Amino acid sequence: MKRRDLLLGSLSIGATSILPACRGGDPRTADLWFSYGGKNREVLLSLVEAFHASQPEHRVRPIYQGDYFELLAKLRTAIHAGAAPSVTHVVGEIVPYLVGAGALERLDGIPELSVDFDLVPELTQSGLFASSEPKPLYALPFNRSTPIAYLNRKAFDEAGLVPPTTWDELRAAAAKLTRGSGADKRFGFGCPIDWWFWVALLEQAGGEVIDASGQVTLGGDAGVRALRFWQTLADDDASMRVPTGRDYNAWQVTNEDFIAGRAAMIWTSTAFLRYIETNAKFPVLTAPLPRDRRFAVPTGGTMFVMPRSEAGPKQRAAAAFLAFMMQPARANTFATETGYIPVSKAGLRMLDAEGWFASHPNAKVAVDQLAHARPWPWGTQIFRLQREIVQPRLEAAIVGHHDAQEALDEARRAVVEDP
Amino acid sequence: MRPRRPLDPYLMLAPTLLVLGLFFVVPLGIAAYRSFFRWDLLTEPRPVGFRNYAMLVKQGALADTALRTLAFGAIVVVLSVSLGLALAVLLDRPGRLYAFVRGAVFSAYVVSWVAVALLWMWILDGNVGLLNQVLRKVGFAGANWLGDPRTALITLALVTVWKITGYAMVIFLAGLQSIPRSLYEAAALDGAGPFRRFVHVTWPTLAPTTLFVATTSLILSFQAFDIVRVMTQGGPVKSTTLFVYAIYEEVFLNLRVGRASALTVVFFGMLAVLTLLNLWAFSLAKKRKKAAP
Repeated sequence: MKRRDLLLGSLSIGATSILPACRGGDPRTADLWFSYGGKNREVLLSLVEAFHASQPEHRVRPIYQGDYFELLAKLRTAIHAGAAPSVTHVVGEIVPYLVGAGALERLDGIPELSVDFDLVPELTQSGLFASSEPKPLYALPFNRSTPIAYLNRKAFDEAGLVPPTTWDELRAAAAKLTRGSGADKRFGFGCPIDWWFWVALLEQAGGEVIDASGQVTLGGDAGVRALRFWQTLADDDASMRVPTGRDYNAWQVTNEDFIAGRAAMIWTSTAFLRYIETNAKFPVLTAPLPRDRRFAVPTGGTMFVMPRSEAGPKQRAAAAFLAFMMQPARANTFATETGYIPVSKAGLRMLDAEGWFASHPNAKVAVDQLAHARPWPWGTQIFRLQREIVQPRLEAAIVGHHDAQEALDEARRAVVEDP
Repeated sequence: MRPRRPLDPYLMLAPTLLVLGLFFVVPLGIAAYRSFFRWDLLTEPRPVGFRNYAMLVKQGALADTALRTLAFGAIVVVLSVSLGLALAVLLDRPGRLYAFVRGAVFSAYVVSWVAVALLWMWILDGNVGLLNQVLRKVGFAGANWLGDPRTALITLALVTVWKITGYAMVIFLAGLQSIPRSLYEAAALDGAGPFRRFVHVTWPTLAPTTLFVATTSLILSFQAFDIVRVMTQGGPVKSTTLFVYAIYEEVFLNLRVGRASALTVVFFGMLAVLTLLNLWAFSLAKKRKKAAP
């Protein structure tokens, strides 16, 4: 064979293997972009396999895209480039923005999804958002969560403490649980300096991020009170461990602090329940977040959405997959193997009947706490408010020791000056 | 005299011009154009005039990011040049041991930035990091190297220096080996000791090499992204938000393509000024060399 023939042959082999990928692969296979790592990823992939085994017609190709923020960055770029996946999941607060940009498919217009899945109301789109008027369905719940408290039961028993139910009790417990110094210091409390937990505190203090008229108040005095509570614990009492890193790095550090015994009580997502229970060398107890003026928690996690696309086999495969995932047994599989809240009401009844909650009382805390779940406002700027305006000021107040009132005043000014 | 093939020079330049134009000039032009819009990739762009630049100035983000990047660059350039030169002078000797040490020092340069970042995150962890464990063993308290806004930028700069010093050393070694031995012999005959030989022979002869190493270190420090993304994500409290990371944050996390484009344009201007200064330094060095007897 001549060298030229060899080169031409190689080129044609390369072209035939690359071109289908450029066209988007099998036209019947729906791409599913996901952002789970570790155990969550394993469970999701097993559910995709179960979906394939349950029927011969539709196929879903799961593609890992980094953490929530990385997935979102790639999703926006892909939507702009006309190369979005058929189905993905996004942080709940981003849904109004994507809807406003006309980027999402209406799910109630798709036959497979225009049925009543009997879902837990607080975890659905209508429960997630406070809206003055009903909205078309754009998002279905998948991995939904609330923040909960994780307690080192051994440390609590030794100190003769019970789970705190008020901010004052939390402060006293954190001080009593704090001991040692330097590298051996155990902090009584730990929490990522993150918008989600600040919103929980703000709502417990009686505030709202956006008031009923749509004005961004950042909770007014309640927002400041929330931030000062953290400052009191971290600076005045030195009983709160402030994790290093930003975004989910800080969350991971908080989990590790708890597991390693460097923090006797932490606030983090219920999503980490299985991970923490499996890795902690001491008995773990979970508890609802304490109250200030009221009990309150935001919900978190992500919602399934379908980026706008042509109706066709890919869209049908994506819809069939979502319908499959909304089934009680599937929703329960994901929830019980990870720690997220089961999204199906029938699924919850099944778990109760099977004695799951009796044998796993830690898993019941987040479900019960939904009674105090506060909806997010339906606002297209919530995500920007979180990422760009509030989050850096929370860090400045806690890590940089800025005054809480000034930090939030500055944030409110930024909302007006630079929307 | 008229050239017989007047188009040839342009044809030969064409591939370079095409690549430069396609991947540098055109994107920069697009960025400059986009910097006058408010755009989030999904909704229609809205013209906002100079507002993106004005907000960057008003909020202090521009000055903070520029100063932070310059400070980072200064630490990286000064330390990588001085350490690279010191290592080159120390290791410019025959023998297997020296060859091994040279190879070991250079090896950091060929490791990927992400691997370096992960390695140093493990070493610098405030709780269980190797560095703090060693410091505590010898009686020091240790520090939260990456979690404290006062130390995070310097720590990132030192990790960068660790990674690129091997490259600086190799370039200096090449420079050292090009210095004629006769100069050292002549200086030794005149009674110059090792220090004076370094000051009067090695250092002046290595001036162009030093400029080259300083320039490449500066470029590397201005391109810093991976290390920031992996180790600190620009925090704590924006203390490690360098220019390239700030651009990434604006466009991909804050959904502000126009703001990111404005930052890109300013960044280009800053690099252009630094390049001009660099060229001026080169020409000055050349003039001095010519003027020397």
